[in-house]
Amino acid sequence: MSVLDEVFILCALGALVLFVFHRIRGIEKLAVVFYAALLYLLIKMSGLGYGGEVIYSSFSLNILGETLQWRFDAVSWFFAIITVASGLFSAVFMSGKWGESYREKTSNAAYGTLQIALLLNVNSMLILLASGDLLSLFIGWELVSWASFMMMALNPDKQARQAAIKYIVYAMAGAMAFLAAMAYVYGITGSLQYAELAQASAALSNGQIILLSLLFFTGFAIKMGLIPFHLWQAVAYAETPAPGAVFLGAISARMGLYAIIVVLIQLIGLGHLQQIHIPFTFWNLQTVLAWVGALTTIIPTYIALKQNDARHLLAWHGVGQGGYMLLGLMTLNSLGSAGGLLHVFNYATYQAALFMTIGAVIYRTGTANFDKLGGLVTQMPLTFMVMVFSIIGLAGLPPMNGFVSKWMVYRSLLLDGEPLLFVAAVIGTLGTILSVYKLVHNTFLGQLRVEHQNVREAPLSLLIPMLVLAAIMFVTGMMPGLVLDWVASAQLAMGLVPVTYNLGGIVLASGGLDMIWITLILFYGLGVGAIIFYLLGGRAKRVHQYDNYAGGHFLTSRVRYHYSHNFYAGLMHLIGGWYRGSFKKLEQAIVSLVSLLSQLSENMYRSAQPAMMVIIVVVLSLWSISGGIN
Amino acid sequence: MDNLILVVILPLLAAFLMPAMARTSEVLARVTGLMVLFISIIIITSVWGSVDEQAVSYAIGGFRPPMGIVFYIDQLSLLFALLIPVMILLFWPWNKVTHIREYSLMMLLTASASGLVLSGDLFNIYVFYELLAVASYGLVVAQGRAGKKGEGAALAASLRYLILGAVGSVMMLIGIAIIYTQAGTLNLAHLALLAPEKLNNMAGLSAFALILIGVGVKAELFPVNTWVPEVYGAVSTRLSALMAGLLSKLAVIVIIRVLVLLFPQPEALQLMTILGMLGVISGELVAWRSRDMIRMLSFSSIGQLGLVFVAFSIPGDMGLMAGFAVALHHLLVKPALFMLASGWTGPLESLKGAAKQSPYIAALFVLLVMSLLGVPPLPGFWAKLLIVVNLASQAAPVYQFALAFVLIATVIEAAYLYRVVMILYHPNQGQQASVREKHKAFELVIASGAAVILIAVALQVQSMETKLSSMARQTGDRQHYINTVFSKLDLADIYHQNKVQQTDFRSNNQLQGSK
Repeated sequence: MSVLDEVFILCALGALVLFVFHRIRGIEKLAVVFYAALLYLLIKMSGLGYGGEVIYSSFSLNILGETLQWRFDAVSWFFAIITVASGLFSAVFMSGKWGESYREKTSNAAYGTLQIALLLNVNSMLILLASGDLLSLFIGWELVSWASFMMMALNPDKQARQAAIKYIVYAMAGAMAFLAAMAYVYGITGSLQYAELAQASAALSNGQIILLSLLFFTGFAIKMGLIPFHLWQAVAYAETPAPGAVFLGAISARMGLYAIIVVLIQLIGLGHLQQIHIPFTFWNLQTVLAWVGALTTIIPTYIALKQNDARHLLAWHGVGQGGYMLLGLMTLNSLGSAGGLLHVFNYATYQAALFMTIGAVIYRTGTANFDKLGGLVTQMPLTFMVMVFSIIGLAGLPPMNGFVSKWMVYRSLLLDGEPLLFVAAVIGTLGTILSVYKLVHNTFLGQLRVEHQNVREAPLSLLIPMLVLAAIMFVTGMMPGLVLDWVASAQLAMGLVPVTYNLGGIVLASGGLDMIWITLILFYGLGVGAIIFYLLGGRAKRVHQYDNYAGGHFLTSRVRYHYSHNFYAGLMHLIGGWYRGSFKKLEQAIVSLVSLLSQLSENMYRSAQPAMMVIIVVVLSLWSISGGIN
Repeated sequence: MDNLILVVILPLLAAFLMPAMARTSEVLARVTGLMVLFISIIIITSVWGSVDEQAVSYAIGGFRPPMGIVFYIDQLSLLFALLIPVMILLFWPWNKVTHIREYSLMMLLTASASGLVLSGDLFNIYVFYELLAVASYGLVVAQGRAGKKGEGAALAASLRYLILGAVGSVMMLIGIAIIYTQAGTLNLAHLALLAPEKLNNMAGLSAFALILIGVGVKAELFPVNTWVPEVYGAVSTRLSALMAGLLSKLAVIVIIRVLVLLFPQPEALQLMTILGMLGVISGELVAWRSRDMIRMLSFSSIGQLGLVFVAFSIPGDMGLMAGFAVALHHLLVKPALFMLASGWTGPLESLKGAAKQSPYIAALFVLLVMSLLGVPPLPGFWAKLLIVVNLASQAAPVYQFALAFVLIATVIEAAYLYRVVMILYHPNQGQQASVREKHKAFELVIASGAAVILIAVALQVQSMETKLSSMARQTGDRQHYINTVFSKLDLADIYHQNKVQQTDFRSNNQLQGSK
């Protein structure tokens, strides 16, 4: 029995136990143990992260002449370790005080259902990651979709329910595109095995490749929320209960990226896509995909800028960050693809931490609405610190890990001679910096609101996972080599040239990156600054939080002042006109079209002359079989 | 094997005797019906599995075909011969108030349905089909009078059903007449033998078109299915379940027999594809608009039957296999859904929070719906996969359109089915439970049974695949049919008379011809 079998047995066992005992108090502790055990099994497989052999499950299924099998390679392992770790962090987050308050607000059963939903998400994603052929990939894909739906449907709020329904329609459309692509693969190769497709892809005609990549890509892009399928994700993720948002936000959408890696990069091959030129343009199929990534970094990020709810702002960012990963992978070179993969890991760490800080704020104040928050830094300093760490990562600034992966993507774009894509990525980052400032300013800075005067620091069970994540962000930011080991193995498994790296960062002939030095210099600079400030500076005066001026006016402490509503009014004055909601209108147009067609069909079924219709149909049929349609 | 004819004779006798018996003893009459059904089931289970390798034909009265009347028993007809009494038994009107007339009609339905699947010649098929039609008109009218929507709607529905059914029957009769003028026989095996020469022309094709549309009325074929939503809305869910689940499939079986044996021309298949895919998309589109559970399920049934037609229109044994898979899946799931719907009448919005009152029923609903949508690893997924994979490997462009339609329809299907699921799990209570009709025990038993079978099939999908593919291979084998019905001597005779060369449309079937 391989370790992978043990993983699956543990998953099944965990699901069974949780399903039976989900109403019982204390189940949350068991869930944490479960994820820890799962993580232990993955660590047992950690050879995969350092160039180990593929691990097969001894279970397989023969159906329709196909062999379904499950296995773990370096790419699956890389995604799996992030998945299980996210699951563990979410489980710890919801195991203590947060869980108690959720229980009080809803019921034991509802809390148990949340645990089940999280567990099913983790399990189904492991099944997806372990898939060894297209059919098992599709099965895993569907399981992941339905598990996320379950998580989203937990929030009884109207907006959340609508988002869940919207998600199902999008997810189903994606799955059907995937299914169609799979069917064509079967039609062409007569098999659904990866090996057969990889072999056959060399001989495919351009038309076939375009059709297949388009269908596959549509399917995967919907899961990842890439342009133009970005509308569903943010609301759906943001409105789930906090641990759900942590987990879904951190890793769930990346399953789309995993599938893109497996199918488009490993099987069809990016080189293949590069050879297909789009008529009348300078572009080939691969550049088109890169531009999809670039636009995804921009548009959702600027939508995030306009959000007035912290969870929505973060979730929209999640959509945008997917663009960097795709952009990195689509550069085709070892540096860019490593950057894309590394970003999956880095992003998961700070997105999870960010959703946790917001979860903690909601736990203490009951809201994530920017208009009702502000000045919490004095009350929740540790939470504030975690958020600052995370937004440095999200914005891609040193010394956090987000900097490393974004640097790799930028650097590879420049080396590749893609200045336009580089500019697009930078515009995206600019939006990120603007909106994360809005996030931290509106929740933690400014003056504390009266009703929050008694708010205390988040409880320990919430703080521990947040602080651990912050530590991971910092350590992997200073020593990216720790994660680059895994990334390089994944690149090897993908058939790409692995990136050259050392513990401190990237080794590159044209100027590498050494984060250890950068961090040291940064702290050195800070230390010098501190020495100048504290030792050589004059007398310092402590300023109270309420001791503020605005427009030259002194504000008394009775009037609390915090500028949060209509943040960036000046900026919006400049770029506000660009928000046209074109994609929303497109979506509505499609719904209206379906509605119209449905009305027409209904009129047909209401026809008052059924017998006449039979005769008309007979005549038409006779006409058609007599060669009329040909 | 000889007593298989009892499956048709006994219920037919019972149908006519029951009203007379009821005059002396009502109880005796009721028990008779049940007894007949049990006997039928026992008879069929006793010969179960005996036709797996070699089909059997049975000449009634000892007259040899092509002159005599033939029953043809293969895996397909045996399966349906079993399903008919089982389904009728499940949806038997148990309550005391039911008029004896209705029992009698149910018996007539059993007899004619069994005859329909077992018959080996077109004339008998027509006769049984008409009997079936009469029985179902009777049931709809009888039920419609006790219907929920008031008499007007029920009457209008029955009338529409009657008119469409009658026009359909005429079409079918014309089609059969054309076949007779062309080939001079109505025995299916004989026709199969003659078809390559006599029916491979325009007249033959138009005969098929007429039969397809005529029988299509019962099979909910687009666009002769406009009776479906009205009738299902007017009659009891028990009868809707039976009609959507079983009767529609019987009509499909008739079409498949005719198609496989007489008309393997690509034009015939493509006509079916077009009507099927229009049925899929229009059914699902209107279901999306529906604001009432029964109406939604009726249109979903139209869509599913469209899918069945699309599947059967794929040439070759794989198409037949896909068709059987999706037809049997629908036969299992749709009646169960109708059973659940019977406790959830009224506008969908009034079902808010129904899951809180009856979590078990809601969970059943979700399971059935997931299978209907084709969520792996439930059986519906494998059926859909078979269709999609086989559609994609066809060269003719019409199949590519069908593929697109099927996939788009699935997305629409997901949208409306999940809207219902969300309503069921709505946190706010809608209509109070006391106002709402309660589910009856037998409805829950049937739905639970369907769910259990679904899960069992999901676990045993490999052996199901073997069974279905063997059934498809046997059904798709024309030469097997011919050789089963005719002895070598008969064949020689016929060849001599008609001077027909033994040609075949399908090269892959010739190998098994010598069995």
